[in-house]
This record gives sequence, C-alpha cells and structure tokens, in this order.
Amino acid sequence: MTTRTRLRSSSRVRLVRRFLANPPAVLGALVIFLMVIAAIFAPWIAPYAYDAQKLDYIEKPPSAAHWFGTDGLGRDMFSRIVWGARSAVFVIVMVTLVSLTIGVPLGALAGYLEGWVDTLIMRLADILFAFPGLLFVFFISATIKPGVTNWARASGLSELANSGYLDYAVVILALGVVGWAGLARLVRAQVLSIKQREYVLAARALGVPTRRIITRHILPNALTPIIVAMSMSLGDIALSEGYLSFLGIGLQPPAPSWGNIIAENAGRYWRQFPQMIWLVFIPGLVLATVVFAFNFFGDGLNEALNPEIEK
Amino acid sequence: MGTLLEVKNLRTEFHTQDGVVHAVNGVSFHVDEGETLGLVGESGCGKSVSMLSVMRLIPMPPGKIVSGQVMFQGRDLLQVDDEEIRSVRGNKIAMVFQDPMTSLNPVLTINTQVSEALELHLGMTKPQARKRTIELLKMVGIPEAERRVDDYPHQFSGGMRQRVMIAMALSCSPQLLIADEPTTALDVTIQAQIIDIVKRLKRELGMAIVWITHDLGVIAGLADRINVMYAGFVIESATTKEIFGNPLHPYTLGLLGSIPRLDAALKAKLTPIEGLPPDLIALPKGCPFYERCRYRTDKCAEENPPLELATLRHWVACWNWQDVRKQRLQ
Repeated sequence: MTTRTRLRSSSRVRLVRRFLANPPAVLGALVIFLMVIAAIFAPWIAPYAYDAQKLDYIEKPPSAAHWFGTDGLGRDMFSRIVWGARSAVFVIVMVTLVSLTIGVPLGALAGYLEGWVDTLIMRLADILFAFPGLLFVFFISATIKPGVTNWARASGLSELANSGYLDYAVVILALGVVGWAGLARLVRAQVLSIKQREYVLAARALGVPTRRIITRHILPNALTPIIVAMSMSLGDIALSEGYLSFLGIGLQPPAPSWGNIIAENAGRYWRQFPQMIWLVFIPGLVLATVVFAFNFFGDGLNEALNPEIEK
Repeated sequence: MGTLLEVKNLRTEFHTQDGVVHAVNGVSFHVDEGETLGLVGESGCGKSVSMLSVMRLIPMPPGKIVSGQVMFQGRDLLQVDDEEIRSVRGNKIAMVFQDPMTSLNPVLTINTQVSEALELHLGMTKPQARKRTIELLKMVGIPEAERRVDDYPHQFSGGMRQRVMIAMALSCSPQLLIADEPTTALDVTIQAQIIDIVKRLKRELGMAIVWITHDLGVIAGLADRINVMYAGFVIESATTKEIFGNPLHPYTLGLLGSIPRLDAALKAKLTPIEGLPPDLIALPKGCPFYERCRYRTDKCAEENPPLELATLRHWVACWNWQDVRKQRLQ
C-alpha cells in the first residue's frame, strides 16, 4: 500500500486562480481578447469597408447606421477602428516575434559564453539604447524606405510598393530592432544567474552539448521574467505604433491605424466640437484603453507568476 | 584488475580578484577497475576540484587546469577535444553531486532528465529511453516507477531525488562513478539507504567509484583504498585498513583522533586539530600542515615532503612519519 500526498490542485490551476482574483488584470485580458477578435474577424465585423467613402454623408455623428459616426470623407468610423485593431495586432505580433527571434538567442549567447561575445552583444545593445526610438524610425523611414520603394518599383513589384506593406515592414523593423535590446539584456541576466545552478553543472557532467543546455535547461527556467517583460512591452508597442502613425512616419492612410486616424482628424477638426468627440477622442480612447489593458494584463500575469508569499 | 584512471601531477588554479588560488597542487593518483577509492579531506582541500578537473568541468575563467595528465582508456582527457570529452561525460565517467535538491532541473520531468543521457550517448529513441528510464528508477528503488516517471523533481523527497541522480549517472553503465559527497545533504537513515544502493549497483555493474567525503565513518565501510588530501595535496594514500589501523601522517592521525568513538571512555575528550588550513592563495614554502603539526621539525618548514612509499602499499607525504608511528604505538 502506498501513501502519497498529492497537491490538491496543480500549479497551473493555482496560477489561473491567482490571475482571476485580480479584477484589472481580468478586465485587461477581456479587452485584449476583444481586440484580437476584432483583428481576426475585421472583414466580417466591420459593417463597411474602411476606405469606403460616402461623400454626401460626411462628418455625421454616431447613429444607428454608423455607430461611431463618419469622418471627413464619409468613411465609417466604427469600421475604421475595427480595422485599426487589425493593424495594431499585426504590428504587435510581428514586432514581438522580431524582438524574440533576435533578442533571446543573442541574450542567451551573451550570458552563457561571456567574454568578448558578451561584450560585443551588450555594446551593440547599448548603442541601440542610446538612440531615441522615434528618431531611429525616422531615420529608417527617411533613408531606407525610399530606397526600398524604388527598388520594388524597379523590380516590377510596384504593387508591393504601393500597397502599404512596406510601411508595415518599416515600422516592424524599426520597433523590432530597438526592442530586441531590452529583451536581450533581460535574457542575459537570467542566463548568467541560471548557469550557476547545480542542475546545469549536472547536465554538463552528463555530456550535454552547449546548445542543448541553453535551450533545454536554461531558457525554460528563464521563461517567467521573459513572459512578464514581453507582456508589459505589448502595450508599449501599440503606443509606439500609434505615435509613429500619428507623426506620419508609420502607417500611411488609407491604411487604418488608430494613430493616423487621430492624426488626420485632429488636424482637420481642431477645436471643432462636437466633431472632435467621435473623430478624435473616441479613437484616442480606444488606443488608451488598449494600452491600459496590456499594462494591467502584464501586471496581473506578473503577480500570478510570482506570487508574493506574504499575501 | 587494470588501471582505469591515472591522474599525473594535476594542477588547477583559480584566478580571482584576491589572487591566484592554488586549489590542486600536483596531485597524482590512480583508480583501478572495479575498486572504490575514497577521497577524504576537509572543505577546501581540493577533493571536489580534482575530480571536476578530471571531467573538465572547471569553469575556465576563472579556473585553469595548469598542468597534468588524466589518462583514461589510453587518452589524456585534458588534451582531447570538446566532442570527445562530452562523449566521455555521463557515458564512461559519470558524476553524482552533493545537493539533490538543486541537482535536478525543476521545470523538466524526471523522464526527460534521465532519458537525456540515454538519447544523447546511446542514441535511444524517446519510447526506448522511457522504458529504460523506468527500469533504472526501479533499480534504484523508486516505488511506482511507471507513474512517478512523469513527475517533477519537487514532487520527490531529497532521498528520492538522490536516487534519481544515481539512476541518471548510471544510465549508460559508466566504468567510473564519481560521487561527490552524495549523502552529505541527507539524513542518516537515508544516507544508509543510498550507500546500500550504490554498493549493490557497483557489484552488479562492476564499476569503479571515487567517493568524495569528509566523513570518515562513511568511507570506512565503502572504500578499498583512501587518499587523504590537504591544501590541494595528497598527503597519504593506502588501503582503508592501513589508513584506519596505521595512520602515518599527522593530519590523518588528527582526523581520526577528532572522531568521537562509541568505545571511548566516558568523558574522554576529543582532540581537535589546532589552527586552520593554509590560505590557498599564499601557500607556505614547506609542508602545508606545518603550522598545525605536533611532529614538525625545521626541515618541514623548508621543504614540502613529496608523497613517498612508507610501508607496504602505503604512501605518505611527511618527513617524520616514523616518529608519528613510534608515538602512536606507545
């Protein structure tokens, strides 16, 4: 007969429970969920095309037909905002992927190998940190984009050049290239600490090769801080994309981005009430809500993953 | 019985901010096939560092294996390339560490961890490795192995984890097992269980063991031969019987004298060794035990005695071992 103590609930269940006990975090998660649904199902949710102009129905306030009203070209604001979610989610996902793909391996290598590899990678990261992010995007936008656009035109890929995908590429590249540095630093710190642990020595004593030690033994133990840092940065990316589009160096109209929607309308309707309300404040509110949601979600995730024992 | 491992003149040092720490200073010893060698000494005497150097697990900055040869199966392990040393580790020479609480990766299941060596060195597929892992867990006495194989380390007690470590180490049937104080972190009853398991497995697999400990009681029942280390030197080497029955080095004598004995007279005092071990950064010119030795002479301060044959299969590094013997026999 065996007596065996089993934990009554697995650690995963307790994690979810802790998260659910945090109302702002849950609300944040809900908002993010809605946003993702909007992003995926935009073509079906949005009642109108985002660039469908109705020039006889411009600047109308919210109504049954147009929940958020229409803008200066008669475009439905609700549809534009829903499609804006798609832009935002796309940019966030791609930037996160780029940051992860560059940042995690570089950080892990710097932390595990130390020496000149570490110095090289960290100095590179320092250089990136020294750049104000926006300036960097400006730089890329101003120098690389025209060149790439011309090259695309010349190679007969003029559709690509005109479609606005290049805009996305530039924004993603710029944000990703600046974003990896923070992640790399974090991963490096984790790796430096974890590689001292005895199970890493035990793995080396078994003859496990370096690459496998990093991927199988070290990184899974570094996951928690990485996840938390990433979830905190999601809101940041959304906001950054908003800034860029607002300043006109990100996504260009008619591609719907909350940033450029605000930009177009704020300029035109400055101090014109009530148009400001549904043309500028509502998109702004949406962006702000999403950023808050990401922040609360990230916070909640952090607390769920690293519970304070005193509580 | 042939010689399995031969270490010649091993020197390992650590370059720290405070200076160069001379952890291992010209250590030579051998391990024969199937024998158990005990490596005994106090904390910091170089026993762990020696064996870590043999497996080239010393972190290379700040550590450095300065010189020496480690002959194993006709090759010098200190000279072979990375791929070869990795094929030896966990496969032909395996190591078990002291603290079972931290030696297992907390985010991987037991199955994953024990299977790792099997997949790596024996090329087993996952199902094959899983089957073998369950057999190994049964072999070390883990109950309900089929179910527990998918558990995580935190679901095991300390003694169980150490058994898992042993299973991992023995998974590829190594010729040499290095046990670095495997029972120090466990309570006495569990300690006895672990020692029994190791003894049994040693018989079944016919492997050699280097057992590192500072507990003379543990080593007495385990080892065929014992090397006593001090300040990075081997200062005495003999069979277990000789070490306990006929200790020739003042340090060994001191060690034995500081163990409480069941057959001692009531209220008999323990005789500890006065003083502290020397600073490994600034080793003295002569014998490292000079400051604490009751048998010292002027020569001891000048020249460090080499390890020399004293009596039958009994080596000692002391100028005055004959005095030590004479005094003890009185």
